[in-house]
Amino acid sequence: MNRSTWITRALTALSVLILLGIWQVGAELIGSGVLLPHPNTTLSALYSLLQQKPFSLNVLATVGRALRSFLIIFTIGGALGILAGYTKSIHAMLVPVLVICKATPVMSVILLAFIWFSSGTVPLFSAFLMGFPVMFVQVEQGVRQISPRLREMTEAYGFSPLMRLTHLVIPSLVPSIITGAKASLSMVWKVVIAAEVLTVPRYGVGSRMQLAQVHLDTAEVLAWTLIAVALTAIGDLVFIGVLRFPKFIRQRKLHHQAGGAA
Amino acid sequence: MILNHVSKTYFVRNQHLPVMQDFSLQMNPGSITAFVGPSGCGKTTLLRLIGGLEEPDSGTIEKTEAEQGAFSYLFQEPRLLPWHSVVANVELVLLPWFSNKGERIARAMEFLDMVGLREFTKFKPDQLSGGMRQRVSIARAFAYPGRIMLLDEPFQSLDTHLRWSLVESFLSLWEADRRTTVYVTHDLSEALLMADLVVRLTDRPMHTISLHPITTPRESRSLADPEFVELQRTFYT
Repeated sequence: MNRSTWITRALTALSVLILLGIWQVGAELIGSGVLLPHPNTTLSALYSLLQQKPFSLNVLATVGRALRSFLIIFTIGGALGILAGYTKSIHAMLVPVLVICKATPVMSVILLAFIWFSSGTVPLFSAFLMGFPVMFVQVEQGVRQISPRLREMTEAYGFSPLMRLTHLVIPSLVPSIITGAKASLSMVWKVVIAAEVLTVPRYGVGSRMQLAQVHLDTAEVLAWTLIAVALTAIGDLVFIGVLRFPKFIRQRKLHHQAGGAA
Repeated sequence: MILNHVSKTYFVRNQHLPVMQDFSLQMNPGSITAFVGPSGCGKTTLLRLIGGLEEPDSGTIEKTEAEQGAFSYLFQEPRLLPWHSVVANVELVLLPWFSNKGERIARAMEFLDMVGLREFTKFKPDQLSGGMRQRVSIARAFAYPGRIMLLDEPFQSLDTHLRWSLVESFLSLWEADRRTTVYVTHDLSEALLMADLVVRLTDRPMHTISLHPITTPRESRSLADPEFVELQRTFYT
């Protein structure tokens, strides 16, 4: 690692320390645990949360909802994006849906969904409406950017529709799919937790946050917030890991081949 | 192959754009015919019509039995799939023809070897130079069992030295398997060294100005030949 990366890292750490310092000083000055609890009070609230039995249930419920919404968005957004990229009529029909999805405030979607569905379904539905346009638009634009020259080559060399899909369309779309998936995944966490706060299903990070707020237990609200941040960060890391996996396998294979040859 | 009174008009921005009008020509089976004309005179359209990628508005294109079916196309650019290795790019176009993967790979390797890329089969296209990429596309065109070869200025983007070495590679593969070749270019010198018949074309709509059969064997041709010098002088005046 070179000098400038060290300096960057040191500055990032310094910035975190300054933020913690401001938090600590602010808590001292305000002097009220309800308005702003001390950082160490928050950490001990977090510690006691981690020890409680329903902790894993709450986290798993939220993770399950986020993953299910993400998979639905990924599949439907990806498939419709490819179709709309190729078919003008499908694109035209989906335009109003997209405009509505993009312009409607998250809270309206959640409140309306709560009228129509049970509290466990609301987070899935709301996350879908919010995340779908992101995935869809990326994939649709990706289809438009597929090289016409390569398309013409596959036409001249008699590629079947299936060969075109697997060897031209999908590989060309990989960057757009990754961008769309990454952006919709980080959106999904926020919407799912917001929907849980409003609808309070039996288990869920958002439900616990809401209950803590009702009890004016600010330290616990902050502790759940830290957990939500950690979940998003872990989600991003897993995502990056999944992306690197094929490359890792390839390198191992190459390594084996080299070893075999020697 | 015989082109009989072929016409083709495109309709672009509410305007008729006649590209070919009543165009006729006979090409011998197993020969190389070069069409030389200004850029944008409709040469690519001619190739697309011969390949059957487009239909003429009127007229017919008659092919001998040996010329019917699939065709191999060499584009101006290599047009390789960037996510596949060199050998996979060649192997892939053989998929509809050979069900056995081993057979496909063996055929791809054989042709890559013939264009001097044996050492580079596992490379990705972007790890190769422009000339090497075009060699891969030549190997792909010959490995593919196309009955005719359609060449759309495939040597144009390269510097002079590379260009002649690619022309040589092309001719050595072609000598081993003489498929009817239709070759469009705006460079007369390439045409003179490669073709059995040089067709000089006008601007759009495309007409034949003159036909120049070349009987000198390819290996003894030289651009310094007085006949060629005279031809080049008349072409560009």
